This record gives sequence, structure tokens and C-alpha cells, in this order.
Amino acid sequence: MGKKVLVVDDDPDVLLFTVTVLEEHGYTPLQAADGVEGLKMIKKEKPDLVILDIMMPRQSGIRLYRELKTDKALKNIHVIVLSGIAKRTFLRSQKALTEFGGPEVPEPEIYLEKPVEAEDLAKTIKDVIG
Amino acid sequence: MEIKKLLFVTKFEELGFDALQSLLSLRKAALDHVVFVNVIERDKVAMHRGTGYRKQEEIRLREMANIRFIDWAEDLYEQGMEVGVYIVVGDLVPEVIKAAQKEEADLIVIGRSHKSMLEQFYSGSDITELIRRISIPVLVYKPVPESAFVLEKPFERPLLATDWSAADLRAVEYLKGLTNITQLIDVVHVASKKELTGSSVMEIQKTRKEKRQKLDEICDILDASGTEARSHVYIGEPVEEIEKAAREHQATMIVLGSSAKPAWVEKWIGSIPKEIAEESIYPTLLIPPELK
Repeated sequence: MGKKVLVVDDDPDVLLFTVTVLEEHGYTPLQAADGVEGLKMIKKEKPDLVILDIMMPRQSGIRLYRELKTDKALKNIHVIVLSGIAKRTFLRSQKALTEFGGPEVPEPEIYLEKPVEAEDLAKTIKDVIG
Repeated sequence: MEIKKLLFVTKFEELGFDALQSLLSLRKAALDHVVFVNVIERDKVAMHRGTGYRKQEEIRLREMANIRFIDWAEDLYEQGMEVGVYIVVGDLVPEVIKAAQKEEADLIVIGRSHKSMLEQFYSGSDITELIRRISIPVLVYKPVPESAFVLEKPFERPLLATDWSAADLRAVEYLKGLTNITQLIDVVHVASKKELTGSSVMEIQKTRKEKRQKLDEICDILDASGTEARSHVYIGEPVEEIEKAAREHQATMIVLGSSAKPAWVEKWIGSIPKEIAEESIYPTLLIPPELK
């Protein structure tokens, strides 16, 4: 069985695209449609990598990323952010949340803006988790 | 009661980012999460003879909405706020209810109904249907150019119109939770001319005094919660007089308890909250009889 990769995205088309890329390259894909469901899956499945959208129902990728990176048991899970939201916005948002008294969190390893080509995504995943 | 999460329902033409920005004063009253909702009406993508379901049109409409929301969301994220989004094909009211329940929203913000008079007669307005089916306050927002005054802080000077119904009393409780952002609340009761048909001046003045005293009780509750409140009695047709009171006291919003009348009664004899929500130039916050 390939390494487990959780895709957290509310867009069914993006989920289908990403899951197809993962399957074609021998990974085991898991799916979640929002941040709340995503966090539950992460705790249960402990994936090797999370591919994370930002703007989603219930809980955004920004808050999920914070929860992930401030949880001792989960903070070493690799994260690729894949979103239509600009990286600059993501970083400013994290800075604002830290200024409001939240903990400081590291930048994501990889930040990809949608849309992304299948080969580029596959290569990036391979670079991160092998 | 806190407003932590707000559902912003927009078709873009009637509620834009300027409207949303004017609501961000609610951050002082705990707001930290905005959820955008755009419902693409079925008939825009529905089956047409010869073309079938217009999937490409659906994709185009979804992406148009998504691009707008990304732009708005970036602004909010950078302020440290949380943002969510729903872009769905379906009927407005059921989809808004679904999103509001899934998100456990504290307030729904929506533009006025876009149904024609005929559609409203047969099926009721979107707003009437929404407020009837959900126990979450609904703010019916009006576009700025139409109201001819700039509403930078809609919650700053609300005008509470009351006839002491259960929903009106819940509105008082709701306003108590907004003391951080309200400066002054005008509490108004509109007495009908029929109520002033006493045979003497004394009798008429007594009626006014009784109403005024009841309003003052509400003002005392609001004063005690930290917001100054003033009472006013008006006489005449409720819809006209409430609008007049809002104008005279420079209100930024009208707050009313929503009607508990059965739908068929409302259809035939009308309801004051519905008329104000649909017709007034002021943003109108409707509080249901039962809050979530």
C-alpha cells in the first residue's frame, strides 16, 4: 500500500483531479470536504501528507493548518497548500492571528496556487514524501 | 447573545463587499467568521430543449462567484478573520437554510427579495419564507445608493420598533449583546389612531403615557446593559411611522421581531416586518420569535 495522502478540499472537481493524480502515482488517497472533517481524518489516519485547500466551509485551511502545526502529535505531517488564495494572504493571515495572541506557526513547505498541472503536482508530492 | 459567525448571502448585484465591510464593526461584538453564500438559480443552468443541462454555464457561473469571493476572502483573511464559502445550484431559501444550519451561523445577511410581485403573491418573498423556516436573525440589507446615505456602521444607531410581541422582546435580548457597537437605541411604538379615540384629552394622554411607560421599561433594560436608549410613541400607520421615526432619529437600521402570523394570514392581510424589510430604505434586522 502506498503512502497515505489526505486531500482536504470542498471542490469535487479538485478532489477528483488530485485523487486521480495520487492513484496514478501509487499513493493511497484519502478525502475530506472541509477543515473540520479534515482534522478528524488527520487524527484518525495520520497521513504522510496533507494537500490542503484554504477557503472551505466550516473551517478554513488557515485554521486547520494552525491546529496541525501546533499539535505535538501532528506537527511533523507534511503539508502542501493548494489554493486559489494567494500565498501572501496566507502568510499575512497567520501573522494577524499570531498578533491576536495565537501561537507562531512555520510557513508551509510548499504553497501552490490553483490551478496546477498534474505532472507538477505529482513531482511536488514526490519531492516532499518520496 | 454574540454574533460570532455571519452568513453573507449575495447574488453580487445587490450586496457587494462595501456592504460586508460596513458590517465588520460587528468584530467588536465577537464576529470572527464570515461565510459567503451564492446560490445559482436552477433556471440559469436548467435543462433547455435542445441543449440539456448547461454544465458549462454552471462552471462559468461558479467560477465567476469564486473569483469574487477569493478577492473578498483575501481581504478578510489578512485581518485575521475566518472565511468560508458555499457556491451551489438550487433554490435560494433551502440552500441558505442548509448552509446556516451546517455552519451554525448567528446571523444571516441577505439583500431584499428579487421575486416579482406576482411570484411573491403566490409563493411569498424569499425573506418571508426564510424567516419563517429558520430561528436565526435575518438582516435584510439595502444597497447604499438606494438609501441615499452612507452606512458605515449599521449597528451604531438601531431603531427598535416594538408592540411587545415575544419576538420583539427577543430583539431586546439580541440588542443587549451588541452594546460594544451600538451608541444609542431608539425604541418606538406606533399606536393606531383607533387607540386614541377616547372622549377626552385626558384619556388620550393616558393611553400615550401607558405606552411610553412600557417603552421606558425596555429602555431601562437596554440602559442597564450599557447602551443608552430613548423611547418614542408615534401615531398612525405602522410602516409609514416606523420609517418616519428612523429618519427623524437618524437611525442606521430598523430592528423588529418577525411576524408569528400563519403564512396564509400574512399573504392576505400583510405583515409589518415583511413590509418594512421589503420596502424600507433602511437595513432591517428581523428577529424570529424563537432564537436558536
